[in-house]
Formats: sequence, structure tokens, C-alpha cells
Amino acid sequence: MTTIVAPMPGTILEVLIRIGDEVVEDQELLILEAMKMENPICAPCDGRIRELTVREKDTVKTDQVLIVLD
Amino acid sequence: MAFEKLIEELQEKKDRVLVMGGPHKITKQHEKGRLTARERIDRMLDPGSFFELGMLACSDMPGMEDKTPGDGIILGFGTINGKRVGITASDFTVLAATLSRVHGKKLHDFKQQIYQYKLPHVFLGDGGGGRVPDGQGSIGMTSSAMMGTRSIFLMYTNHRQAPMITAIMGNCFGVPMWQACAADFVVQVKGSTLSVSGARALQKIIAATYTDEDMGGWKIQAEHTGIVDRTAEDEEDCFRIIREFLSYMPQNNRELPPRHPVPEDSGRNMGAIMDILPEKRTRAYDMYKIILSIVDSGSLFDLKPLFGKTIITSLARIDGRSVGIVANQPMVNGGAMGTDALEKLTGFLCLCDSYNIPLLFLHDSPGFLVGKEAELKKVGAKVTNAMDALSQVTVPKVSIIIRKSYGQGMFSMCGPSAGPDFVVAWPSAEISFLDPVVAADVACGQLPEEEYQTLKNQMIQEAGPGPAAGRYFLQDIIDPRETRTYLMNVLDIIADCEGGGIGNHLLANWPKQF
Repeated sequence: MTTIVAPMPGTILEVLIRIGDEVVEDQELLILEAMKMENPICAPCDGRIRELTVREKDTVKTDQVLIVLD
Repeated sequence: MAFEKLIEELQEKKDRVLVMGGPHKITKQHEKGRLTARERIDRMLDPGSFFELGMLACSDMPGMEDKTPGDGIILGFGTINGKRVGITASDFTVLAATLSRVHGKKLHDFKQQIYQYKLPHVFLGDGGGGRVPDGQGSIGMTSSAMMGTRSIFLMYTNHRQAPMITAIMGNCFGVPMWQACAADFVVQVKGSTLSVSGARALQKIIAATYTDEDMGGWKIQAEHTGIVDRTAEDEEDCFRIIREFLSYMPQNNRELPPRHPVPEDSGRNMGAIMDILPEKRTRAYDMYKIILSIVDSGSLFDLKPLFGKTIITSLARIDGRSVGIVANQPMVNGGAMGTDALEKLTGFLCLCDSYNIPLLFLHDSPGFLVGKEAELKKVGAKVTNAMDALSQVTVPKVSIIIRKSYGQGMFSMCGPSAGPDFVVAWPSAEISFLDPVVAADVACGQLPEEEYQTLKNQMIQEAGPGPAAGRYFLQDIIDPRETRTYLMNVLDIIADCEGGGIGNHLLANWPKQF
């Protein structure tokens, strides 16, 4: 199990996956808008999306859990 | 045979020295998952190459002679990757490798000797701190660096004439801390600690409740202070990392780094390099992917990857030649440089300038992370310091503007008028004082929408590299797919110059920490 956290504060611009999706390492999962940039949040390893704790337009803090990967 | 008995006794004595602090202490060291100093030296060096000095040295305290073989420090010469080095290892099995007069004299004299020879020095640290009661009393303290009026200084200095490497392999205090802070390259093994004082003593003195790990575990030193350049999973990994670091380095500052064979598949991804850079100007991407496409396969050696992550500082090879890469990382804070990143940049400039490693700058940053927090961390001083260092770099510098290069950030990344020997842009470059969208808001935000859009688009257009290339502030705009070839040509030109790119090392005496 791997948790993916927000690397910096910002707003979720796009959610590119759904719960249950199989993803591969490096795949873009979310786009976090911060510092006037669209920052892709990528999968650190292959896995399946177990939990997704954010929706589009949600604001997030640094280290907030966004996704749990199996 | 004449002197047979004396020779026999000598051999017996040396055999005793080889078991260091004794089997019990060796077992305790192994139980911690750590190797002994002699095992470490054997694994670090090419097999059988160790030539020891000071094997018969021991404590000068009455009655301690037999309990202090080598007096807690083992040192001598050897080879790594077939090249001559000096090596020193703290021997934790002898009184926790604490510093005493003889211990100190061994290290002092040896450092002096290898400075004179201009050889790389590898220091494998464990334990340390002052030895009690040796240093007690006015005679104990004033004689603790017994060799002379200035003899303590070598403990802290590194004139950057030959690479100095420090490994932190145990619970390190005192001497290993100074060796780490003075070194050109520091690696820390996970599970070890590095701090000025030990938690056990602090519990007695100031009733501290924290541990050595809290003060100087690898996360503290690699992520927060940046004293440590790399962390190692275990001791074998540590030796591998040191060997790899040395492969990028010359033996000393009068030589060029060695040229290596170029792996056949190097540059195979250059054709697809534009797939890494998003077309949308506000979309972040991983700069490591761009770097890995350009450099020789498997040659990236990252320094301080966990500290000041908005700037990447990596050693690498292009066409078999060592280069020092400074690159912005848009994936972290949009590439906006913070004070940690500036410290990291200054240190890296000092390293590359001292060891004749040409610098390559890859721009994509909106500038600096500003604001009250940055001011409290002396952002102005850090910017000035980095610029001062850059102005004194005498190794060749190449600057490539990949995407954003704005304001002071353009100068800090060795852009036009900040001393690049070669400076070009990709067609995707945006160069301006401010981000054009921000500038449009500031300058014409109050205008009617249509007029504002026209002016904003004009500002974005003008930030393209064409106008600057037209005035020869940029030497060229290159097809990104030809970046590797461009750099190979540049390195060939540098190699043909007088001295082949050996610098004047004006930064050799700059601090190692900022």
C-alpha cells in the first residue's frame, strides 16, 4: 500500500483516475494547480487505486493524503 | 637469524593490533549491523591495496598502551578504481574512536601528507567526540592538539586541491562532523547519525529528551541541513556511491576528470525529447527526464537530491566527459528557487570550479520563492552569494534556456551577461523580466478586455527567444533534439582550448557550508 500526498499547497484542477483503476508507474493521476503551475501528481509505482480523497476544485495542504494505491 | 626474537615480538604485536579493540568489541560492532574499521577499509579499497601508517601508535596515557591499538584511528594509502587515494577509518572498537593526542596526531600528519601529495582522501567516520579523561585539565586541553601552535586547523580545512570524501557510518560526533562539513562530498548510511554532541551527554547537561537520531539522522542531514550529499541504504551501498563519485573526479585540481567510454545506447531518446516538455506553458514536467535523455546512459550522479529540490545539481557525463549540471525542477514549487536551493547552487559551483568540471545550466524557473519567509532566511544574501560565486567560476559554462527564464533567475542560472561561454535557447524559451501574464496584469489589467488580451499576447510573443538571438544576446536557437550533439561539439571545443578547461580555482577557499 502506498499513499500519495500533496507535495505543496494548491487546488485540484483535474482528477484523471477513478477508484479501482489499474495504473502504471509514472502515470499522471491528478493535476494540482499551485504556484500558477499545473503540477502532475504521478504514480510512484504500479498499482490499483484503493482510495481517492479529493475532488476537482478541492484545496489541499502540503502532505495531505490524496490517493491510496494498492 | 639475527634479531629473531625481536622480529617475532614485533609480529605478535602487529597481530594483536589487527584485532583492534578485541573480539568482544568486534562482535558488538557487528551486532549493530556495522563493519569494523579494517573491514570497511578492505571493502572500500581495491583488494589488497591497503598500505598502513601508524599501526603501532597507541594512547600516551599511562597504562592505556595495550587497550588502544592504533589509538582508535586506522589510516594509510590504497587504490580505488585503480587510482591512488589516502584512506582513514575511525575504529569504534577502540574507545568509541574518541579523539586523543595520538589519535589527533595521526590524523593531522596524514592529512598534511595527502594535501602535499594532492591525493583524494576518503574518511570513513564512526564514533568520535573528545576522550575523557585525556583532555581534562589545563595541560590535557592545551596539549590536545599536541603538534604545534596551529595544529588544530587541519581538522576543519579542505583547500579543495584534491577531492575530500567523508562517509558517516555510525553515531558520529566531533571529528567526523568536522570532516563532513569540510568535505567535497558526504555520504551518510541510513541508521547512522551525525551531530556535534551526543544525546546521552545532553541528557545529563540540559536534560534533553531527544535521541541522536532526532538530532542527526539521515533525514535531518539530507533533507533539512543539506550537509549530507547522498544517503546510502547500507555500508556496501556507501562504498559503491563513493567509487561512483570518484569516477567523475580528477585526482587533483591540476588534472581534468578522466574520460570514460560512452555507452552505445546514449542519446537514443533525443528524438523524442519534445514529448517530455508539455506544450502548455503552465504545465510542470520532470526535469530529470530531460537530463537523462541528454547525458550518457547511466551516468547521472545526483548531489543533495533531497535538499533544495527546486534546483537539481548533478554530476554526469556527456560523450564520456564529466559535466556539472544545474537545472531547475518545475515539478517542485513550479521551479521557483528557495534559499536552500541557492545554497546548494553555490556549493555546487565551488565543487565544479575546483575540479575542472564544466558547468551546464538548464533553465526553466519563474524565479525565486519570495515573501516574508524567504526574507527571514536571508534570500537577498543567498542570491548575492550565489552570484558572487558564479562571477568567480573559471571553468567553462554552457547555458541552455529550455522554457522559463525570468528576471534575477535568468542571471542566477548563468544566462546572458552572467558569464556563459555558450548560451542558446530552445524555441520553447520564454525570457523576460516578469512572467508575461503577470506583467500584463500589472501593466494593463485596468484596460478593456479586448485591449488587455492583445497586449498580453504581445508580451507572450516578445518573451520568445527570437528577438534576443537577433541581437546576439543568445548565440543560437537550437532544435531540442540536437541538444546532445550541440553539447558534444561544445565539449570538443573546450577540450581543444589551452589547458583543456582547467580553471583557476578562485572558489577553492570558499566555505563548504553556507
